Amino acid sequence: MSCIFINNSMKKSSPILLLSAALILLLFSFLLNVSLGSVTISPGDILSGIFTGDWTKASREQIILNYRFPKALVAILAGIGLSISGLQMQTFFRNPLAGPFVLGISSGAGLGVAILMLAGSAFGLATFGGAINPWAIAIAGTLGASLVLLTVSLAAWKVKDSMTLLIVGLMFGSAVSAIISVLSYFSGAEALKLFTIWSMGSLGGLVWDQVWVLGLVITIGIIPVIASVKSYNGMLLGESYAKSMGINPDRLRWLMILSTGLLAGSITAFCGPIAFIGIAVPHLARMVWKTSDHRILFPATALIGASLLLLCDAVGQLPGSAQTLPINAVTSLVGAPIVISLVLRKNFSKEF
Amino acid sequence: MGKASIIGTNLTIGYTKGKVQKEILTGLDFELLEGEMCCLLGPNGVGKSTLVKAILGQLKPFKGEVLLRGKSINTYSNEMLAKELSVVLTEPFLPGNMTVGQLVAMGRIPHTSWTGKLEDTDREVIQNALSATKIEYLRDERLSEISDGQRQKALIARALAQDGKVMVLDEPTAHLDLVNRYEIMHLLREISKSQGKSILVVTHDLEIALETADRFWLLNCGMPLISGLPEDLVITGQINQLLPGENFRFSVEKGRIESKIGSLKFDVSGPGEYTAWVSKALEKAGIKELPEPIEVSKDPFLVNYAGKEFLSLEEFILAL
Repeated sequence: MSCIFINNSMKKSSPILLLSAALILLLFSFLLNVSLGSVTISPGDILSGIFTGDWTKASREQIILNYRFPKALVAILAGIGLSISGLQMQTFFRNPLAGPFVLGISSGAGLGVAILMLAGSAFGLATFGGAINPWAIAIAGTLGASLVLLTVSLAAWKVKDSMTLLIVGLMFGSAVSAIISVLSYFSGAEALKLFTIWSMGSLGGLVWDQVWVLGLVITIGIIPVIASVKSYNGMLLGESYAKSMGINPDRLRWLMILSTGLLAGSITAFCGPIAFIGIAVPHLARMVWKTSDHRILFPATALIGASLLLLCDAVGQLPGSAQTLPINAVTSLVGAPIVISLVLRKNFSKEF
Repeated sequence: MGKASIIGTNLTIGYTKGKVQKEILTGLDFELLEGEMCCLLGPNGVGKSTLVKAILGQLKPFKGEVLLRGKSINTYSNEMLAKELSVVLTEPFLPGNMTVGQLVAMGRIPHTSWTGKLEDTDREVIQNALSATKIEYLRDERLSEISDGQRQKALIARALAQDGKVMVLDEPTAHLDLVNRYEIMHLLREISKSQGKSILVVTHDLEIALETADRFWLLNCGMPLISGLPEDLVITGQINQLLPGENFRFSVEKGRIESKIGSLKFDVSGPGEYTAWVSKALEKAGIKELPEPIEVSKDPFLVNYAGKEFLSLEEFILAL
């Protein structure tokens, strides 16, 4: 939110300056996120603990290093991945409502997890007894997302038109959601609750190994984006113009499917679906930086996405309680009003 | 004249639907010379866009080939083609928060490295493109805040910054007002002359095209493409190919299209430039013939008919 004020006060500020401001915002959000929780640990304590190794209490070291740090890192990774996927989709499909999940990725991951959690009870087979290994969930999500993405890619190979691809992706998403509904209908209450909680998303609960895996996948997923920055700029005028400027939209489409598949797919597999960030953050970045140049927009969306998800997670930490609100609900509850107010204040459709 | 930058020989093009090849244009021969502005004219649905697609290399011809600077256009890679040929399309989609300068800079995409960073030479070309289209003053304006005519000029500047030998424009003057249409077409003519570019303009503005084009390509259903100097086509009457029905024809003396039924005879005498307008007004009022001769005088304008004088044509027609 502070970006808006920055934007108003520095009308002619350079994009680099704004990027630095966003970086500071990210650091601030990180510290805030890490210090809030069931016990509040002041940022000063955290910093001195990290740099000198002197913690005021041994339990605090545990909380910070093994619980809050991984969670904050996951928030940063997820924020970066989701918002960059969203920006790619919005530019490629030239549609302001496109997001990372339009190609059915989250429904696919959902299907994988639903089969893992629900199918057992739905078909009356032996259940996992309520405690499912987090790796199993991540693998099921990855498999499901890959399956749907593969099917959509086959369609993409067949259809030449990007609008058709968008519709095919949405239809696949709906069909897969329908299968999940059927599974939910026939499954037991315990399994259903487990799945419902997964579908609300969660940034916590990952061990360091998983954080490293997620970090690695996200890094790989960003490589195609960096390689095609110029092509995304060329796509701004539409596919025909892009072709006339020597850009190959078919190649870009494959790179985009690969990149969003890795980014959004891995995030959904590890954290569950996280709504809103992927659609809204690219718009926020476009409004603040007032540009359509992807060389600026990609780092900008990454910074804003990471900060916003950290802040949302901080909001979700109910003060004085070990309970946290599900991240998927918080992103929409906190984020939607911000975007609505921005959209109403500015001439939104003209800026897209 | 200069060398031909685009040559089409015995070109047959169309679309493949399933296993059926639907031919839209057959046996086309044409040449586009360097430093020449050429207008492609023809009724809607005759296949102008299809021909343009073939010239842009987006459509593989069934027979014959399009040569760009001596090489078949289908052998060019996307990147190489982009350095030779640039376009202005009818697609209305433009991101509103892009500035004119940024739009024009996009023309350098085929020339820059993978990051798209602009070098000094790129900046120079962009500057030249802006000054050739006379929109330097718009450089920092956003696309959502300029007029349609200015936007069209910015798109032309973008195509110019792409720095190819050939520019193809699909109806660049559609939706523009009269002054802007003249400005854009004269601008294109200037560019073709000063920068030695081949410019192909698809247009429906016959009168402005007559003013500005070096060459016409006329397309009509079931006919071969007619190519020639606009003036030749007017004199030989081939320009009437554009008007297939019985109702209209191109008037050689007036330089515009008129209704054939309008060949009514009124006996109008007076200054030459006025008599035509008097006949026109009478024709529109549905008057077929007048028994007496009409006399028109200049300074002040007076219509003299059957011994009465009228100050305006409106008065005159009301009195009839």
